[in-house]
Parts: sequence; structure tokens; C-alpha cells
Amino acid sequence: MKKTVKVLFVLLVLSLLVTASVSAADEKLKVALILPGQADDMSFNQAMYDAMMQVADEYADKIEVTVVEKVYEVADIEPALMDFASQGYDIIFGHGFQFQEPLIAVAEMFPETAFCLGTGYLTLPNTAVYDVELDTGGYLMGVLAGLMSETGKIGVVGGADVSEIFRGHEGYKYGAKSVNPDIVIEEVYTGDWNDSAAAKEAAISMYDDGVDIIWHSGDGIGLGVLEAAKEKGKFALGNVADQHTLAPDNVLSGVVYQWAPIIKNIIDDVISGAFFKTDPLFYWINIPNGGLTYAPFYELSDKVPADVQAQVQQTYQDLKDGKIELPDFEAAK
Amino acid sequence: MDNIFTATFFVSIFASTIRLATPILLTALGEIYTQRSGILNLGLEGTMTMSAMAGFVCAYFSKNLFIGFLGGIIVGMICSAFMAFLSITVRANQVIAGTALTILGIGFSSFIYRIIFGIQKLPPQVESLTKFDIPLLSSIPYIGTIFFQHNLIVYLAYILAVFSWIVLEKTTFGLNVKAVGEHPRAADSKGINVSKVRYTAVIIGGAFAGLSGAFMSIAYMNSFSDTMIAGRGFIAVAVVVFARWNPLRAMVGSLLFGIASALQIRFQAIGVPIPNQFLLMLPYLVTIIALITVSKKAEFPSAYTKPYSRMER
Repeated sequence: MKKTVKVLFVLLVLSLLVTASVSAADEKLKVALILPGQADDMSFNQAMYDAMMQVADEYADKIEVTVVEKVYEVADIEPALMDFASQGYDIIFGHGFQFQEPLIAVAEMFPETAFCLGTGYLTLPNTAVYDVELDTGGYLMGVLAGLMSETGKIGVVGGADVSEIFRGHEGYKYGAKSVNPDIVIEEVYTGDWNDSAAAKEAAISMYDDGVDIIWHSGDGIGLGVLEAAKEKGKFALGNVADQHTLAPDNVLSGVVYQWAPIIKNIIDDVISGAFFKTDPLFYWINIPNGGLTYAPFYELSDKVPADVQAQVQQTYQDLKDGKIELPDFEAAK
Repeated sequence: MDNIFTATFFVSIFASTIRLATPILLTALGEIYTQRSGILNLGLEGTMTMSAMAGFVCAYFSKNLFIGFLGGIIVGMICSAFMAFLSITVRANQVIAGTALTILGIGFSSFIYRIIFGIQKLPPQVESLTKFDIPLLSSIPYIGTIFFQHNLIVYLAYILAVFSWIVLEKTTFGLNVKAVGEHPRAADSKGINVSKVRYTAVIIGGAFAGLSGAFMSIAYMNSFSDTMIAGRGFIAVAVVVFARWNPLRAMVGSLLFGIASALQIRFQAIGVPIPNQFLLMLPYLVTIIALITVSKKAEFPSAYTKPYSRMER
């Protein structure tokens, strides 16, 4: 029954968007973005949604964009993909690992349509994978947390121990140990990306135990971590968006995602035809290509010693120049 | 790892337990009234989500948390009145009606929230309820930190547990609620208005779930998301059965779930060599084990989930 509600919700959004975009010109590429969650989830979905809206603005003469939200169950994904493909959409984004199997199946039936998979490993000539190298972002946060901690204890809170979240956490630990080999790192997975109360409780228990700075790897749970930081008067590091305004006295910095450049790459490659000629095709956002950056310190700048700021900036530059080699965490798992 | 079981460890765990147990306890207390009258309200998860949304919206626009709580309670009562209508007046199957109410509540609250706030770059927030240290008591070492440094709703929840026990066990109203839950026909023949008592009991349940929902969005957290209740409404139903419809035992049940949650979080953080997926199961395993051990002793109200009509025998 939950599924029925979702399908109805999708249909509602679809019908609204379809009616809204009827008047647009026909020459443009039709782009569909299918999100597994809500566009305002503060994280995985929102980062993509905001970037897509930005590209839709900048490429207003080239593309028109349709977005559907909350297509989460695998059983709903294939019909949604089929629907867009048979309506003649040119590029279809399935934003999540669970899109992999249905996306490959539908892509086989529509070889003229470009399909993009948000995290995954299977490809066809007309599909590509886009993903985030969160290990580099995590590494940078680890360096910052390691340098800033006075107690020698830092923490990290995540949703679940999967793909980019796992790589991010491992990168964080690796980064922190690179500046302080004796550092103690407390790690909690809440098992869910939305239970912000559980995440808050996890963060409070870490702060109580002497942890003085926590990075969260995103989603609704991140809000719980920031709320705990506010309550305990400690530092937290954000993820995905610049979360400074949520707790100006506590959010020291954070990883910021920029999907827009690679969305533009994808669209340019589809227009030029290169998209269909390369297989396998992967688009990564990472520090070297500017897809991952870190949020400024704002008014907390005077709480961060100049040498720490310089070292973080240097680490960022070294990651950007490829001077820091990170191990393959997933292989080590 | 050697000296993890320090005083700070226990103080932190127990304080965390009390906070984690609060929303479950509040909801379970309300559900005890409801179930004692013979109605199973499985719609609590949806009711709590609606109230979390309503509480947040009211607090956001009025800049007053009290109005937020009031809004949450009223919306909780409206949701449960709908449940009462379906199960008492229309005499629908309560399991189906409750499940439908849960789905409706979650979907409808995210719909309303989206209409009001749209899609924003960063979520709207309120200043959440600050903790209130009880004078003198809160400065007792350890005990003070564990019991007397929480926000007001936390204290209220535990006071309401005792209050509910008194209402159900020592007042005529409590007796009426139990009578319509055990033998509605006998109660009817004694002049008790069965549907009125049942409506009242279900709506009281909604008020509790409403307070609990608002607690989640404006006291525990400071923002709303449609998944923030995260199964607590269902855990509350399990706690009611575990408690065998006794508010004081519901307190024990909620605390048991709370301590299991608090421990699993702490164990993960300090790196106990058990995969996090297993630790995450701990609170739910405890719930299942607790239910199995007491289920033999549980005596469900005789008219549980049975609609009453004078016309039928």
C-alpha cells in the first residue's frame, strides 16, 4: 500500500510537471531526473536536484528537465524508466544504486536513449555511471578534525555502511591518522538515513565521551548531529551542502558537492555523440575536478589557528594535484 | 577499551536511555487507554508524523513552542477521531483502518509540508525546547545528570505514566474504559455509553501520540522530515502488549527499548568488534525477546478489536 501511495505521488508530480512544460519548444533535449527520495532531503537527492535546476537554467536553450521524486522501490523504478524512455526523453538519470538493474534492462530496449546511473558499476554503450569520490572529501575532513581536536578524540556519524559513505568514512579515518597517528575515532552508523533523533543521540554520546569534533556523511541524520553540536557547544562538520547557517557557532566547515559540472559534461557528450561511443563511461565528482570542495570557516575562522587553516588548504591543493594517494578502501574491505 | 565502563559511560548511557524512551512512552501511554477500551489503533506512526509536522508548522509560524505542542496535540486528536469513527461508527476492520491511517498520515504530512515550505536549500528550523535543570536535584552527582537535566516534556512523560495508572486503576472513568473493552454488552446494560467511552479513549490516545510527535520535531529535533518518527509508533504498540496494558510497566518497557538503543549506539562508537548491522538489530531483538517472554501472560481485553453493536449477538 505504501507503494501505491508513492506511485500516486509520482503520477501527481508527473502530471503537474508535464502540464507545466507543454509550452516549451521541441528542439531541446528532454532530460528526466528520477530521485529515490525527496528533493529537499538536504543531501543525496537535494544535491542532485539543485545542480540539475542550476544546469536547467544555464542550459535553458539546450534542455528541458522533468523531475520525479520518491521512486524508491525497485519495483517502481522500471516502470518509471520505461515511461520516460517511451515518451521520447533523450537523457534519463536514475539517481541511486538501486536503479542499476532496471536501468540496464530498460537501456537495452532503448539504445537511442542516454541513461545515467547514480553510483553503480554496470554499463552499456548508451549508459554511464556518475559517482562521488567521497574518500577524498572524507580525507580532508579527517585532516581538519585531527588538527582541531584538543582531546585527541573525533567522531563520524553515517547512515549505513555502503559504497560512497563507507569510502568517505575510511578516508576520514585515514586523513585524521595522517596528522595524528594516536587519534581515537568513534564511528556510528544509524542504519537509516532519516532517523535524526538517533543520530543526535549518537553525537551526544560521543561528545559526552570527550569527542570534540564530528563529521557526518549526510542526509537527514546530519541535522541530528548539528543539533547535538549546538546543544553541547561543540564543533561539527557538514556534508553535501554548505550547512553553516544551520548552526553558525558549531558548523566549522564541511564537504560541499558540485554535481553541476559533470551534468553539463554529460549533456555536452550526449549532444556531441561521444556519450554513445565510450563504454564503460564513468563521471566522477572529486576534489581534482572541483566536484568536491570544502565550506569556508566564516566567523569561526578566528577559532581555527592559521597553521591549521594553511595545512587544510595545502591538503586540499595536494588532493587536487593528485599528490596524495589514498588506498582502495573497498578492496581492503 | 579497558576502562570503558566508567561513571561517565553509565551516566551518558542512562541519560540517553531516558530521552530515547520518552516518545515511545508517551505514545504507549495513550495507546493503553485506546486498547483498554477494545480498540487497536495501529495508525500511531501516521498520527505521530502528522503531529510532528503540525507541531513544527505551528511553532515555526507562531515562534512559540507551546502553541507548537498544542497544535501537535490537536492534530493528534483529529487523526485519532478519524480512526475512532472508522472503527466505532463505521465498524471497519481496525488493523486495516490503522494501517491506512499510518500511510495516509505520512503521505499527507509530507504533502502539506511541501505546500507550505516548498523545496528549500536548507531546511526551515525552530529553536527547540531547551533542557530544564531541576533546581537542587540536578546538581546531585550522577543522579542529577541522569534524571534531572532534560526538557520539560521528558519529565511530563514520566509524570503522565503515574497519572495514567491512577486514572485507569482508581477512577470510575478508568473502570468504564476497561468495562467497554472487556464486555461492552454488560457495560451497555449498566448504562455506560459504549461508543462515547471508546471515542474518548481513542482520542486521548491521539492526544498522547500528538504530544509525542510534536516532541520529536520541536523538542528532540528542531526540524521536520516525514520519516523522522522512524518506527517509534509501532514500537509503542509492542510496548503496550509487553506492558500488559499497565502504564507503569509501559515505563519499564520503554526504558528497556531506550537502553538497548543507547547501548548499541555507544558500542558502535567505541568500536566493539561486532559488525554495526548486528548492533543495529539489538533494540528490535530486545523488543521481540521481551514480547515472547511476556506473551503467555498477556491477557488481551476480551472485546479487543471487536466492534460493538446493540443489534448483534
